[in-house]
Amino acid sequence: MGRIIEEIYVWRLPVRLYHWINAICITVLFATGIYIASPVLVHPPGEAVWQKGMAWWRYVHFASAFIFIANFLFRMYWAVFGRDTYARFGGFRPWSPSWWGKPFREQLESYLFLRSDEPNYAGHNPVAALAHFLFIFCGSVFMILSGLAMFGENNPGGAMSTWFGWMLPLFGGSYGLHYAHHIVTWIFPFYLVVHLYAVLRHDVVDRTSVTSSIITGYKHKVEEEPT
Amino acid sequence: MQCKQTFEEVLNERGISRRSFLKYCALTAAALGLSPLMASKIAHAIETGPRTPVLWLHGLECTCCSESFIRSSHPTIEDILFNMISLDYDDILSAAAGTQLEEVRRRIMKEYKGKYILAIEGNIPTKDDGVYCLVGGDSFLNTVKETAADAAAIIAWGNCASFGCVQNAHPNPTGAAPVSDIIKNKPIVKVPGCPPIAEVMTGVIAHFHTFGTLPELDRLGRPKAFYNTRIHDKCYRRAFFDAGMFVESFDDEATKKGWCLYKMGCKGPTTYNSCSKIQWNGGTSFPIGSGHPCIGCSEPGFWDNGPFYGRLAKVPFLGSDSNADKVGIVAVGAAAAGAAAHATVTALKKAKQGGEENKDNA
Repeated sequence: MGRIIEEIYVWRLPVRLYHWINAICITVLFATGIYIASPVLVHPPGEAVWQKGMAWWRYVHFASAFIFIANFLFRMYWAVFGRDTYARFGGFRPWSPSWWGKPFREQLESYLFLRSDEPNYAGHNPVAALAHFLFIFCGSVFMILSGLAMFGENNPGGAMSTWFGWMLPLFGGSYGLHYAHHIVTWIFPFYLVVHLYAVLRHDVVDRTSVTSSIITGYKHKVEEEPT
Repeated sequence: MQCKQTFEEVLNERGISRRSFLKYCALTAAALGLSPLMASKIAHAIETGPRTPVLWLHGLECTCCSESFIRSSHPTIEDILFNMISLDYDDILSAAAGTQLEEVRRRIMKEYKGKYILAIEGNIPTKDDGVYCLVGGDSFLNTVKETAADAAAIIAWGNCASFGCVQNAHPNPTGAAPVSDIIKNKPIVKVPGCPPIAEVMTGVIAHFHTFGTLPELDRLGRPKAFYNTRIHDKCYRRAFFDAGMFVESFDDEATKKGWCLYKMGCKGPTTYNSCSKIQWNGGTSFPIGSGHPCIGCSEPGFWDNGPFYGRLAKVPFLGSDSNADKVGIVAVGAAAAGAAAHATVTALKKAKQGGEENKDNA
């Protein structure tokens, strides 16, 4: 193997913490959510009064949802006020035609095998940034808003139902919202597959240690093997 | 015409004592969830207000709302029709028919301009100039527009008038539309249900007569007094839901024990109505009470939110009936397959590149 020729500190601790808390929350939320929609486990023995089979799954779902929300808000704070070159929103402007220009096109071409060289980015490349925006940002915002609206249904007229209840008529009522919440959750495992593949592939092809960088914070460049 | 009499006069005629009258007012206030002080306001309104004329139109419907309405037990239907509202036009319940009846409708519209309540049962087909529902020689679409023009407010009875119900379920061949799609400039109170609970229907009329305004509505236009909470949150089987004890099939032991019907497709968790509180037929029972899952009949689009006996909605996907989870699994599988294919191409490219380099070196 080649020698490490350059090390860049890319992911600072808040970003790494966010990433792993987010990963754990999404996993727990997905698992408990699917279970709440179709409770497959056999019923517990004894009287209902001693059991909390479904209540427990819902409790875990709601608790991890609030951790997920807090974590998301923290990441938004960090992206705007964090003064973190690699984690801020500054460079990401998908509404601007110039953003879709050369760097994005080159990266996409590289993914599509239309060019042989791999552009190298220390932070997120433009295609990755777009994917994170669509799946993680938009997906999270939708899941948070719809989730809080449904949480508010427990207590009509309460804070959650007042602030987020407008989601209900938007989806034609409670059923439509539950349904949308359920189907959108599938973008997360979909994204996970694409994300893991992209990260591992970058590690193998560019040899920039993307995978370990989310634990250590460092990306490095490796000297090509001497021929 | 009786409608010029006040309620007090009607009650006096029927030999109702002052004491029972005030009792009734107190009970009404309690039933509507109002403060005890409101009882005197109700009494005042009933003493002085003329009976509100109601025009009741029937469009594309099955008449189950009327069937429900005439089974109201608190108060009874006789009470409502003879003592409470002045039901001046109803082509189902009226003794008269044809020209005479249509004449009454037009007269009330003129005499009580801007003061009558228009109650609409059923919805309105809009395709082909509304030819799919003709009443009294004209399309129902025209009749509704004409009668709504001078109404004080509109009550949309049942899911048909409120949200469209079965007639505007996919593919909706007649273009059936709920009242709120046709009439935009009048206050509309939606009283959905298939049918609505009789006491909910009479409660809405009582509220309008007493206060002269529509009751407080939720985001979908339904009176909060009756549609504020979900069936699920007041369901007497809720303990079994929280415990995770579910009926798995309609003939198992859990059914006999009365466990939760969630897995049988119960729409209680997404349905807003009073079934689990007021119940039906004078408090006799309600669907979940008799062992049937809630089908969500007071919610928009409930016919398309199928199936009735399954939790997950059908999604038309690649020409077959599927559900959200199946679509999701296919999508994740496709992503995995795509990643594998991409990896293979990457490896092939690398190998080719390596081969070419070796050739160059050689």
